[in-house]
Amino acid sequence: MSAARPLPMDEAGRPLFELPDELAIDTDVARRVIAGFIRGQLRQAGFERCVLGLSGGIDSGLVAYLVSEAIGAEQLLCVLMPYRTSSPASRADAETIVAALGCPSELVEITAMVDGYFGRDGEAGAGGAGVAEATVVRRGNFMARTRMAVLYDRSVSFGGLVVGTGNKTESLIGYTTLFGDNACAFNPIGDLYKSQVRQMAAAMGLPRQVIAKAPSADLWPDQTDEAEGSFSYPLLDRILYWRVDRRRSTDELVTMGFERDLVERIERLVATSEFKRQVPPVAKLGPRTAGVDYLYPRRRPGSSRT
Amino acid sequence: MTLRIALAQTAPRLGALDDNLARHRELLEEARAGGAGLVVFPELGLTGYQLQDLAAEVAMRLDDPRLAALAGATRGISAAVSFVEESGDHRLFIAAALLEDGEIRHVHRKVFLPTYGLFDERRFFAAGDVVRAAPSRLGVGVGIGICEDFWHLQMPQLLALDGAQLLLNVSSSPGRDLAARNDVGLGTATSWRTLMRTYAQLTTSFVVFVNRVGVDESITFWGGSEVISPSGEPIFSAPFFDEGLYLVDINLEDVRRERIALPLLRDERLELQARELGRIIAERAGLATDSTAEPGAEPGLDVAAAPAPEPIRLRSRRRRAATR
Repeated sequence: MSAARPLPMDEAGRPLFELPDELAIDTDVARRVIAGFIRGQLRQAGFERCVLGLSGGIDSGLVAYLVSEAIGAEQLLCVLMPYRTSSPASRADAETIVAALGCPSELVEITAMVDGYFGRDGEAGAGGAGVAEATVVRRGNFMARTRMAVLYDRSVSFGGLVVGTGNKTESLIGYTTLFGDNACAFNPIGDLYKSQVRQMAAAMGLPRQVIAKAPSADLWPDQTDEAEGSFSYPLLDRILYWRVDRRRSTDELVTMGFERDLVERIERLVATSEFKRQVPPVAKLGPRTAGVDYLYPRRRPGSSRT
Repeated sequence: MTLRIALAQTAPRLGALDDNLARHRELLEEARAGGAGLVVFPELGLTGYQLQDLAAEVAMRLDDPRLAALAGATRGISAAVSFVEESGDHRLFIAAALLEDGEIRHVHRKVFLPTYGLFDERRFFAAGDVVRAAPSRLGVGVGIGICEDFWHLQMPQLLALDGAQLLLNVSSSPGRDLAARNDVGLGTATSWRTLMRTYAQLTTSFVVFVNRVGVDESITFWGGSEVISPSGEPIFSAPFFDEGLYLVDINLEDVRRERIALPLLRDERLELQARELGRIIAERAGLATDSTAEPGAEPGLDVAAAPAPEPIRLRSRRRRAATR
């Protein structure tokens, strides 16, 4: 049973990450299910290849390993899409993953595309003079959507489906860019909390530095998820797990020892980001409306391109 | 008497009725070549599970020539197959048919349609109203349940009391609740195994559980089909997630041995059960007062809520004046 496997240690003999007991999964079963899921999605769509954006972080790294295990590394195109302020260490980690897997990869610098909109060095960009003062959040969202546009373009040239790399934790709290990093044809890790992503990454042998480093969207220098949200992933994961998966109430969570302020803050994040997890509503007018009373599986006879 | 059962742990293609019919024919022949007397296919093995609005498009009437052709392939063998059945008045059922010697011997319409959590069956299907064991060329009564049917105690019990010695459960069970603290790593699988083994023991019957594999949309079906003896011991457990045709030999004499040694069915008190059920039905319908409840208990509860503390009375002058 994989839970009995010891966690990987750092040089000082401390575990590389904290894995709360209730979140531990059987990683062998998870790998089995996910590999079958990836193959099933491709077969139903009539594709044999995948494309994903590889940042050098643990989420996209794990998905690259999972896709390679499911269909073979040669069928996966990893696209590295740094911006000029992106961390060089992230890029080095991405290159380490590509080398370890032996999958095809491409480098697409998005600097010119992003600066072309926001402008640079006093020159106005296509977005006009007003966007030069745009907040880091606007810039970060634009970068995420630029990467999405690149991936969907490479999806055509490589003939592969775009694989999602967002985890359950960031999806639930809405720490994603709508139509940016959350855009995909299917997502193999969207039901795994960050702690479970780490457990899976350790089981699959991702590079140690990728597992150990502080998670970051890398949208601006020195950004880290946990500093930005002022939480720790193991704690956040536990609260989400008990609240969402095990249906415990706020009061029950407080009785279990979680801080009420934190629990309520997380509940607000989940509620305010509901729209990011759902297909946009269509105004109901006709007798039969997609998503309302016209309900077909995404993939059905005739839907495959082959 | 030895019976060789073939467990067809297949991965149906969603909505592709013709492909799935062809696959059933192939596996039937493979089972026959392997000496099987009975081959069991999973729930909706002819159509796939997550059909939604496709259900009406893949539905078959019982006189459908495609079903007749499949039945025609069962000379000298029995097969349990599952599909969407459309009735004369155009209701759609999740059905499982026992095909034998070229005929449709028996049809079971799924009685319990899960409509909660990840399930939405009641939206698309009508529920069956009949539970019957069926005689079979195998020399024993056969009782068929479909997936959720066997999450209700009365189903295996009724089938066994009606004469079934071989209980078939055909399933499309989605794997979920991945857990490390679990002997098979999958919460769903553990629950199913507990239930099926319990039913086999309590009904002193063979239980044959056939669950599909493969992926429909988000859902992965876990397989793990089993054959369980009348004493509740697993005789065979198929691997999780692998497609395959698994041949298992059982000795039908084990039913007699177990029922002699452990005469649970003999000792069932049907008249008592019927009487108490009649009482509970009347009480729940409001036609009789709940005879087992404390005075003041809410409907459906036997125990009255603890009395609330006395409210603090406001003794204002005006109130006193008003009451005088």
